[in-house]
This record gives sequence, structure tokens and C-alpha cells, in this order.
Amino acid sequence: MGCLQTNPAVRRYFYRFVPTMTAYAVALLVAEWAIHRFHPRGALLYGLAVLPAVPIIGIIVIVGLYLAEEKDEFQRNLLIQTMLWGLGAILSLTSVWGWLQLYAHVHPFQPFMTFPLFWCFQAVATAVLRWRYR
Amino acid sequence: MGCMTKNPVVRRFYLRTLAANAIYIVLTICIALYFYKFHPHGPLATALALLPAVALLGFIIAIGLYLIEDKDEFQRNQMVDVLLWGLGGVLVFTSAWGSLETFTHIRHLNPSLTYQIFWLCVAIRTPFLLRKYR
Repeated sequence: MGCLQTNPAVRRYFYRFVPTMTAYAVALLVAEWAIHRFHPRGALLYGLAVLPAVPIIGIIVIVGLYLAEEKDEFQRNLLIQTMLWGLGAILSLTSVWGWLQLYAHVHPFQPFMTFPLFWCFQAVATAVLRWRYR
Repeated sequence: MGCMTKNPVVRRFYLRTLAANAIYIVLTICIALYFYKFHPHGPLATALALLPAVALLGFIIAIGLYLIEDKDEFQRNQMVDVLLWGLGGVLVFTSAWGSLETFTHIRHLNPSLTYQIFWLCVAIRTPFLLRKYR
């Protein structure tokens, strides 16, 4: 996504992305701590458990905003390609794991791992594509 | 994504997507029956579990080809919009469900359902998008 200092769309993307990702990590830690510390029940428990999912909506909105604001078609296509690779990888991994879980009795996959794993795949795809287009 | 009969790129995309999904469904049913009847183990079980993911990757390639082939930026942006909704839906849903699983002990979500969740989110977004730009 180019140099952080020169491209205003990329700068805005990072300024939005980093705090939202931090909010996700904080929400995850706060939810876990509060549930273990106070043992809430009912709606409060469900609210706390769902709390880390809220920043994820923000992340998707930020990606959408970047795609709308970025004037450089090459950079836009690069992000779309990496998202597509990430999507394909995460859907494939969960699909395979689901089957292995059902029939080969492997360790159950934790669904909340899809978000961090998606970004890992996306990061790998970004590195590979940047190397390809260097 | 426009009228199927007018735009050859869209037509090709629909045909590839339909083919990939048909293969996915057929493979899923055949593999489930095979596991049910023969209870395979080890490398064979792993190889069989990998097969539906191949069809799933076919769908991702179909999207990639569509984004390369379609010269209409408006149509391409609509596709990216729908994909982002699908991806966002999967990430939010699995994260929320994963947290609920960990903290409230609700039923385990089989990870192979993420592909269906993705399509459900796409199906929810598409009419709104079509209505917005009609």
C-alpha cells in the first residue's frame, strides 16, 4: 500500500486500522478478564462475549473506505487481491478442518480464530504480491 | 452484477461459480457417504477432507477472473462490495460465536459452515445493493 507518508488514502487507512485493531485486542482481553473475574450471567455475559466482534465490523468498514478513497487503481487491486487470497485460504482451511473434525476426529477448531488467521493469510498474500510486483 | 444474458463476463462468472458450487455440493455429498459407509482413516481421510476445498478454491478463482475480465468499474466495485459483506459477515459471525462458545458453552460451530455463512451474507447484501443502484 505504498509509502505511509506520501499517500493520504493509505495514511488514513492505517490511522483507522491500527486503533480499531487495538480496540479488538483490548475488547478481547477485557471480555475475558471481566467474565473470569465477575462471572456475569444472562444478557451481560452474552454482551461481553460478543464485544470483540464489534471492532471487526469497524475493520471491514475501514477496508471499504480505503477502497472508495484510494485513487491508485493498482494499489486498490492489490488490496482486493490480497483480501481474496485471504478469503479463499480461510474458507478452505475451515472447510477442510470441519471435515477432519467430523470424520477424522481432529481437535475442534475455535471459530474466533478465523479473524486472526484471515489476517495472517492476507499478510502472506501481501508479501508475495509485493515481491511479485516489486 | 448486471443481466446474465447481456454481459459475457458476468455470464462466464455465473457459469464458473455454478460449476464450482455444483462440484462442491457433489463432492460434499459423495465424501459424506463414503465416510459414513467405509470409515476411512489416516492419509485417505485427510485427502478426502481436502477435496471440497479444491472446489471452493475454484470459486475464489472465478471471482478473481471476473475482477480481471470485467472492464466495467462500477460492476467490479459492486462485486467487491458484496465480497466484503460476505467476508465481514463470516469474520463477525465466527468471532462472536467463538467467544460465546468459550464463555457461554453454546453448541460448537462446525468450521465447514463458514462457506455457507459467507454465501448467506452475500445473499443478504445483494438485494440491498441491487435496490440501491436500480
